[in-house]
Amino acid sequence: MIKKINIILLSLITSLFAFANNTDYKYQTLAENLSHPWGIAVIDKDNILFTELSGQLRIIENGVLNPEPIKGIPEVLFAGQGGLSGIILDPEFNSNKTIYLSFSSPDVGKKTNTLEVVRAKLSSGSIDQIETIFKASPSRRTAAHYGAKMAFLDDGTLLITSGDGFNYRESAQYLDNHYGKIIRINSDGSIPSDNPFFGNKDAMPEIWSYGHRNQQGIVVVDGIVYENEHGPMGGDELNIAEPSKNYGWPAITYGKDYSGATISPFTEKEGMEQPIKYWVPSIAPSGMTYYTGSLFPEWTNSLFISALVPGDVRRLEISGNIVSKEEILFNDLGRIRDVASSPDGSIILATDGQNGKLIRVTNK
Amino acid sequence: MMVKSFNLVLSILIATSLVILQETLSNLFWLISVGMPVSIGIFFLTYFENLISMNLSGAIPLIALVAIGFLIAYSVARIILIWIRVSRSYAYALAGAVAILAIVLLMPLAFYNLDILAGGRSTLGKSILALFGLISGYFFGASLDKQRAT
Repeated sequence: MIKKINIILLSLITSLFAFANNTDYKYQTLAENLSHPWGIAVIDKDNILFTELSGQLRIIENGVLNPEPIKGIPEVLFAGQGGLSGIILDPEFNSNKTIYLSFSSPDVGKKTNTLEVVRAKLSSGSIDQIETIFKASPSRRTAAHYGAKMAFLDDGTLLITSGDGFNYRESAQYLDNHYGKIIRINSDGSIPSDNPFFGNKDAMPEIWSYGHRNQQGIVVVDGIVYENEHGPMGGDELNIAEPSKNYGWPAITYGKDYSGATISPFTEKEGMEQPIKYWVPSIAPSGMTYYTGSLFPEWTNSLFISALVPGDVRRLEISGNIVSKEEILFNDLGRIRDVASSPDGSIILATDGQNGKLIRVTNK
Repeated sequence: MMVKSFNLVLSILIATSLVILQETLSNLFWLISVGMPVSIGIFFLTYFENLISMNLSGAIPLIALVAIGFLIAYSVARIILIWIRVSRSYAYALAGAVAILAIVLLMPLAFYNLDILAGGRSTLGKSILALFGLISGYFFGASLDKQRAT
């Protein structure tokens, strides 16, 4: 109870002090007229890979958008929130040119689909050696709440967010499926034997944590896994994810259903984790990055969360497990789908929609 | 005419209240199944909260949705009754059931197969909702029969 009161008070205080920034910066458009840009992977300051939900993998080479999408992308289901979603570089990308893509893949007959993750080698203008390393089970009839974000742990294993599929929200509480879970696998698709439910016959061995809704951002900072997720109407969350933990959805939530109905009157229960921050009303968090650059020294070591509603980026300062400051940035660009850090200290943003842009934020 | 309009509004209110009851119970029954401490007090509080929020703060006000569905279904029932001689109670009961079922089945088509009314996701849920539509329609039809008899 005291923990809950602390969280409520801190949320109120940080909301009160959420203000527009005074840092000088400017926008530089890297690419425009993009078809629903979704996920960003920065190779170096002049070379950026990004996905378009409609199924294209694009590259900015030497600062210029290559007009030709990268070839060899597997078939994706582009519908609703489904499509080519997440992208991450292998930790050894510079030597092995390996990337990982997440997307909604149609099943045979196309009446159902599922979240799929592949790894592939990037070569000039195409990807090859494509291997499926994860497919969420069971498949779904809906085209929403895929999660589909990825991050590497320090031990080289890959975390994948797998959303609740919207219609299957209760499944997030059960371990016999991949809905509403964080998945942990090795980079070749095999399952680490130290996964928390490995060997449990009632659980899927890939599951690392559960009770999630639609996780749209995940980053690992000094071994700590930060994960954000869309709540329903209200109740967006920032969590510190840990193995075997239950994050409560939909048994506990700070949000309401889109119909206005109460999904659960409970916001806490023993054995279920509390977010370190939640937003009511929703900000619709999308991507997330941890900024370690020095171009904006006042922002160094901050968590950046892009948000779709009303459209901005939240900069969060975190001390321990507490969000001590929230600042609203870049609120003049509309809905922002993803945010990434560049090695030169600039920040890369993807604006949402069928005429999306990739924008670099640099100092003046 | 006044009484007829009043009964029409009442049948819409009955249907809306029953749909919200089903939504409330389906959520709470699941919460009980995973060990959440749902009490009678929580049930009443949640139900009354839902009566307000599902009509005032949801994406679509439920009562407006039900009203549109019922007005269309009742109009069709009235036209059919010109040619077919059946009890008004049964005709409007069927119209009420079809109206609610149509709302539950058609809404996902507009939202990428997403069931906005969570209580209508299962076949059992859809059947219960249709039954509530049937009860509400029967009430309206029976009131018309009663009005004619007097």
